[in-house]
Amino acid sequence: MIKNPSHPKKSVRKVKQCKFTEAGLEYIDYKDVETLQRFTNDQGKILPRRVTGTSAKHQRQLTTAIKRARFLGLMPYVAENLR
Amino acid sequence: MTVFQTENIQSKLMNSYYELTYIISPVLEDEQYPAVIQRINDLITSKGGTVEEVEEWGLRKFAYEMDKKQTGFYVNLYFEGPATAIESIERAMRIDDEIMRYLTLKYDAKMKRHKELVKKNAVPEVFPVIEEDDSEEDK
Repeated sequence: MIKNPSHPKKSVRKVKQCKFTEAGLEYIDYKDVETLQRFTNDQGKILPRRVTGTSAKHQRQLTTAIKRARFLGLMPYVAENLR
Repeated sequence: MTVFQTENIQSKLMNSYYELTYIISPVLEDEQYPAVIQRINDLITSKGGTVEEVEEWGLRKFAYEMDKKQTGFYVNLYFEGPATAIESIERAMRIDDEIMRYLTLKYDAKMKRHKELVKKNAVPEVFPVIEEDDSEEDK
């Protein structure tokens, strides 16, 4: 059962790719709110790496960028509907 | 040893590139904003910096309430100056009642390269737009 590669329980894990590495981005800008927003959930929380597939290097940059945007009121700390 | 020392002195005197974003309180009248922007620019110049680029984003709605206010006037500027100036500039802005918030960033080589790309409007898309054929859906 385990050795059978076509077994439904043995699903092939989808390989996730870092969007920033793919794009060849060097610096994640806090001003680019539209992009940053796609890495937060509807509550405004930063999505974990295991969900987005972002590389560790870019995840670190991403969190600082999001936190800077939050400080300047460009992005919410907590979504409007939950406050 | 001497080489190291001269490098150290140079780095102290050397100007760095900074980005500064600040929010002006929306209680001011529309015609008062240029005066505040001018004041900040003069402040940077007086501390030995040179303002390179000032971009007014204008009144923007905050993502959350800040000091009982919903909007703020955003100004984004780039300047070059000695590291010692930052402290006094930030101190002056902290005291200033009309400035709600500010964020100063020191630019490194990567960030400068990124800024060049922004200028050329050639920033690589993180989420490339996939063009879809809407014509078939309409039928």
